[in-house]
Formats: sequence, structure tokens, C-alpha cells
Amino acid sequence: MTATSAFESSPEMERFLCERLLNTEQPIAERFRALFSLRNLRGDAPRRALLQGLDFGVSVRYILVSTKERAARDPSNLLAHEAAFALGQMQDAEAIPALVAVLKDLSLHPIVRHEAAEALGAIGLEKSIPVLEESLTTDPAVEVQETCELALGRIEENKKVNGAESTTTSPFLSVDPALPSKHGLSVDQLRGLLLNEQESMYQRYAALFALRNDGGDAAVSAIVAALSVKSALLRHEVAYVLGQLQNKAASDALSTVLKDVCEHPMVRHEAAEALGSIADQESIALLEEFAKDPEPIVSQSCEVALSMLEYERSGKSFEFLFLQTPHVQS
Amino acid sequence: MSDEEHQFESKADAGASKTYPQQAGTIRKNGYIVIKGRPCKVVEVSTSKTGKHGHAKCHFVGIDVFTGKKLEDIVPSSHNCDVPHVDRTEYQLIDITEDGFVSLLTDSGNTKDDLRLPTDEALEGQIKSGYDDGKDLLLTVMSSMGEEQICAVKEIGGKN
Repeated sequence: MTATSAFESSPEMERFLCERLLNTEQPIAERFRALFSLRNLRGDAPRRALLQGLDFGVSVRYILVSTKERAARDPSNLLAHEAAFALGQMQDAEAIPALVAVLKDLSLHPIVRHEAAEALGAIGLEKSIPVLEESLTTDPAVEVQETCELALGRIEENKKVNGAESTTTSPFLSVDPALPSKHGLSVDQLRGLLLNEQESMYQRYAALFALRNDGGDAAVSAIVAALSVKSALLRHEVAYVLGQLQNKAASDALSTVLKDVCEHPMVRHEAAEALGSIADQESIALLEEFAKDPEPIVSQSCEVALSMLEYERSGKSFEFLFLQTPHVQS
Repeated sequence: MSDEEHQFESKADAGASKTYPQQAGTIRKNGYIVIKGRPCKVVEVSTSKTGKHGHAKCHFVGIDVFTGKKLEDIVPSSHNCDVPHVDRTEYQLIDITEDGFVSLLTDSGNTKDDLRLPTDEALEGQIKSGYDDGKDLLLTVMSSMGEEQICAVKEIGGKN
């Protein structure tokens, strides 16, 4: 399936989405719906709104830290992280300066810095190379370092394929952190690459996306097995990919990840959202339980996941429709 | 075409057996689709990277073929949608009654007397003035999902 042009929306809808995204009194799930609706649009207004979501998250985080209210529930890490993700998926080069600033800001949660680095890789311009190389060596979080390694690999790989062959579009229309491994590798070979702790992170990611594109039962089993690898970054991407595949065979493993309070929050966050995407009836009770998790990134992810699950089960879109007058539900 | 096929049906079963399934990803602009129970012509369609995981969904904008109202819907691209049967049939105009119904001549030689003049003022005006002028008129009737409406008029081969 080829990607089609982004939808145009009315100025009223854009204002509604911007207001919804930035309104901290709205439930986190509603703000997410607005965020992903903006992600599907083009132009200055959607980008500005997402940058505000990113900056707003950043500034709130900064205020909380400076006033020593670290124990306070902080809604912004998750939203800021997701705003950065959306900006990368839009491949909007105008967002690069903001993403660079986020990547360099060590006061921010690693999950937000990671997503800024991944977005720079998704946008794929060579001018992002210096800052990625810098953070690769200086960032204190290993998952951010690994993300920079991947982003640099993606930018490099893009240069090669541009001259050699056309880039394969993701069947999920996502802009992936690595291009899939070349055709011809068997599922067993890809599994071996993915689970090989000595292999480079880029090659392991490439194997992961090739397995995802295969999508068969053996491929899904291989992907599920990778939920036990050493790298939290790779585990989080594995959970994300399982959300894309929507294969119920992954529900048990993802539930185990969500329940594991010792697991890295970014992995638990992705497991929750993947369960929302798979939309298993049995996941509802689990997501409701962990919507009360003490880690805000996890509890809010469960709220978002419950909303996703509801939309998936009814076969409708998680985003707002663009032409109808937005009505506020009570 | 028999009278029975054009017999007006109650709203209760307006959707039943008047549609066929088609995969959302294969419905194109200028095709037809049912949105919120209404037969619509597709005027715009795009594939949406829905939610975080990018499952492709088709975003349709359609125009209700009877009311002209704009409707939109988003459907997973791999799911089946209901596609309405939309038929157009031409009838010769025989008479216009005082209460705004038309009498039409069917192919089988019977009359069809259950249709009102269209609500579209321009079209209604054309039909009335043509009839008053004694012209021979062909009315095109669009039918879909148990509803019918006159949608076009033309003269039969000019006199003098």
C-alpha cells in the first residue's frame, strides 16, 4: 500500500486539536487523540501545535524539577515523548532545532531525549549528524546513546539506498528507526540476528523490522522472544512492533512485561500501548489495574491504551474526524 | 422493470440487502460507500496513519446522494465496507398532480405514481415549466437502499 497525501482540515478543527492537545485538564487519552490527529496533517499549524506540546512538556518538567516537586504527578513526560515521536513520523525538517534542544537537555526524562534522537533519525537529514554523534558519547543514559547510534545508522543507510534502490515503505506507514534487513534472509536467520547480543544495534533493529514485515507466526514468535534481550531500547521497540502486528499471540508476553515493576518504564509504556492496539478483551482488566501504577508514564500509558482498545474494538479511528464539527463529550 | 422493485420500503429495512461488501482499501474516489447508514458518493479518500502504531485506515468523505449532506468516516483499510447499489432509471413523465406527485410511464406500460417532485428548486422548476409547455420529458430516477428521488430531466427529441 502506498502512502497517500495527508488530509487537509479546517482551521476550526486545527484550533480544536491544538487546544485539546495543550489543555492539561483534559484526560491524557483525549490529548493523545488530538496529538495523533495532528500527526496526520501537514503544514505550519500542526507542527506548531506539536512543538508546543513538546515545549509545554519540557517547560512543565523544568518547573517541577526546579520547585522540588519531583513527587508530584507529572503528566508531561509521556506527552512530550509522544509529541517528539509524532514530529519524527511527520519527517518535518522545521522541527529539527527543537528536537536538537530536547536531545541536549539532560534535565529531561531519558524517554523524551530518546524520542527526540529517534525523530532526528526519522527526519534523516545529514545536518543532524553532529548533535547525534555528540550525544552518542556524552549522554548518561544508555538507551539514548543506542538511539543515537540507530539514528546515525539510518541517516547513513538512507544515503546508500537513495542511490541504489527505492526505499521500501513500511506496511504500517510508519517511519522506522532502521530499514528492514535485505530480502532473502530466512526467519531463522533474522531471529538469530535479532537475538544476537554481539550484533550491532542497527542490524538487530533491521532484523526486527524484516520479521515484522514478514508477520507470520514464526516471525511473531521470534519477535516475542526478543522481549528478553539485554537492551531496554530494543525491548521497547519489540513491544511497539507487537502493537503494530496486533497478533493476540503476543498478549501474554506483553502482559508479563507490563506487570514487571522492575522493567524499564519505556518498555512497560510500549507494552501497555501494544495491548491497547491488540485490543484483547482480557487485557482490559490488566490495563485498568495498572492505570493506577505509581509510575506516571505507565499509568498514563494504560489510560491511553484503554482508549485505543475501545476504538480498535469498534473498528473506528483513534483520531478525531476532520470535517465534522468537534463535539465535546461529557 | 416491475413496479414491485420500486415499491417504497420502510426505513426499518432500508439498509438490508441493498448493499454489498467491499474492502475499504479498494474503494476509490467517485465510488460509493455507506456512511452512517446513508448511501454516499465518495468525493475524497485518503489513507490515515491512525494512532501510534500506524494501522492503515481509510478516511472517506462522501456526499449523501439524496440529501447532498457531507459525511465522513474512517474504516480500517482491511475491513469490509457496505457499498450501496445505486441505480438510475429513466421514465417518461405523464402527469403532475396538484399535490406534487408525478405520474410516470414504465417500460412495461404501467404507471408509477409514488414519487414526489424533487426538492431541488431548479430541477423542480425545469420539470414543471417543461410540463406546462407541453414538452415530452424523460425523468431520471435514482434509487438506492430503498429510497428513490428524481435527479435529472431531459426533453425527448425536439419537436418542430
